[in-house]
Amino acid sequence: MIDMLSDPFTYDYMRKALLVCAMIGGTCGFLSAFLMLKGWSLMGDALSHAIVPGVALSSILGLPYAIGAFFAGMLAALSMWLVKQKTKLREDVTIGLVFTTFFAIGLVMISISPVSVNLQAIILGNILSISDYDVSQISIICGICFAVLMFIKRDLTSIFFDETHAKSLGIAVTAHKIIFFSLLSAASVAALQAVGTCLVIATVITPGATAYLLCNRMERLIMLSVILGTLTSVAGAYASYFINAHPGGLIVLIQTAIFLLALLLAPGHGMIGKHKGRRT
Amino acid sequence: MIKIEQLSVTYPNGTHALEEITLDIGAGEICGLVGVNGAGKSTLFKSILGFIKPTTGTISINGHNIKKTLRDNLIAYVPQSENVDWDFPVLVEDVVMMGRYGHMGIMRRPKDADKKAVTEALERVNLIDYRKRQIGALSGGQKKRVFVARALAQGAEIILLDEPFTGIDIKTEEALLHLFQDLAKDGKLILVSTHNLGSVPHFCDTVALINQRLIAYGPVEDIFTYENLSKAFGGMLRHHHMGGTDIHDDEDARSLSVVTDDEHPLVFYGEQGGQRIMRRRAKKQESPKHD
Repeated sequence: MIDMLSDPFTYDYMRKALLVCAMIGGTCGFLSAFLMLKGWSLMGDALSHAIVPGVALSSILGLPYAIGAFFAGMLAALSMWLVKQKTKLREDVTIGLVFTTFFAIGLVMISISPVSVNLQAIILGNILSISDYDVSQISIICGICFAVLMFIKRDLTSIFFDETHAKSLGIAVTAHKIIFFSLLSAASVAALQAVGTCLVIATVITPGATAYLLCNRMERLIMLSVILGTLTSVAGAYASYFINAHPGGLIVLIQTAIFLLALLLAPGHGMIGKHKGRRT
Repeated sequence: MIKIEQLSVTYPNGTHALEEITLDIGAGEICGLVGVNGAGKSTLFKSILGFIKPTTGTISINGHNIKKTLRDNLIAYVPQSENVDWDFPVLVEDVVMMGRYGHMGIMRRPKDADKKAVTEALERVNLIDYRKRQIGALSGGQKKRVFVARALAQGAEIILLDEPFTGIDIKTEEALLHLFQDLAKDGKLILVSTHNLGSVPHFCDTVALINQRLIAYGPVEDIFTYENLSKAFGGMLRHHHMGGTDIHDDEDARSLSVVTDDEHPLVFYGEQGGQRIMRRRAKKQESPKHD
């Protein structure tokens, strides 16, 4: 029995996959604590799709994914801002318009590329056959994201809570927002390799949403999101070994299962707790 | 304390939000900033908070410029209730602690002095028993007091309140007014933007009527007249005038004017259309002579 359970650890590719999933899950969990607070979730979704052409281009040119993704993400954010400025269309329309366009560009680029790019790896993720090069790249991205977030989490909290007040204290609001979205697109690149573009959004929303149901202060919410993100990602990759299922899909399903459990049982927000009065 | 000289603000789209405002508001004063929506109240606030650069003119505080004053954490802003996300995962004490950020290092790690300041501020506004509550679980008046506590923890000498009485019942309003009056006694300058005319004579010492330009500034008794209000509000006021013969049978020539925009009516009563304001201060309990 023990032998069977520790079986995945005997394979190099599984050890790598579990490590990478833990790092990505934790980083995305950290980001999710903030992303879900401001109604920016769709923005995160948009970003994760919008980086596809950047990733494709990097792949064609043989550059690290992160570089292409970063520029594509910035370009997408800029386009959304421009469309919004010029047209007065509602934000959801601009986001929908821009992110599908970017995704389409990515698809076309990949299909006509002279160099073969693994489309499936980008859209669905490919954690089980990840290269050492990718592992080091993801480690660097996650390490930087985590460190920066630890450094600015309190300022970010105050900006997300009361922008005017933060500004009056001399906190650089716009700079912090740019940093946040840069980290988000960087983490999306990393997560893309674990769960694929389509599911990236789940990893940057669900842990935070679950923690939100269970915590009423930011410090704890962040901690719980990170823990949930890490554990669910590791669990998903681990389970995929036994049932031979897509790890990305499993990770997201486990996250959703925990979310539903919290929804049912949370003391203040949950369906059972709600009858007992407000959280204190 | 706040010295505003010839302040004009023109937005990039050409709107003149403020024109040649000159004001000198002293410490220990509760000053009501009264005007219609779009009169420039929030532009004036943003200018004092340093968010907007004046097109012309200057603002100085105790002889220093805005930048230095903000760096010293002397100005605090209390937001309108509707602009706050009450479901945000913060406890009362967390919000008050955010007022201390300007005193902390770059990582915003609270020291003992910060924790002490938070406790003192919470005691001052009578919320110490609620410090571990999530902010959404408070009543309307308590919510407002959290942000006043944040201003106090910050060490602010100037507190800007944006429409503090929206969505608050009379009794709670009364309690808040007493808090503001106490703070003013401690030498804080309290600047309240409001279109709630009825409560202005009730608690403000001075009033500044603005409509892009400064219509009038001075003690409430002198400035809060029907004539000035008409200038500030134009046709936006509801005005009910009751002549002497409408309200009593004798020869008394006094008449009653009720002026209101939406909330508390402002009541004028006396001869010649009533220049005198009927005050309903909680302490003095001046009751009207004719009912």
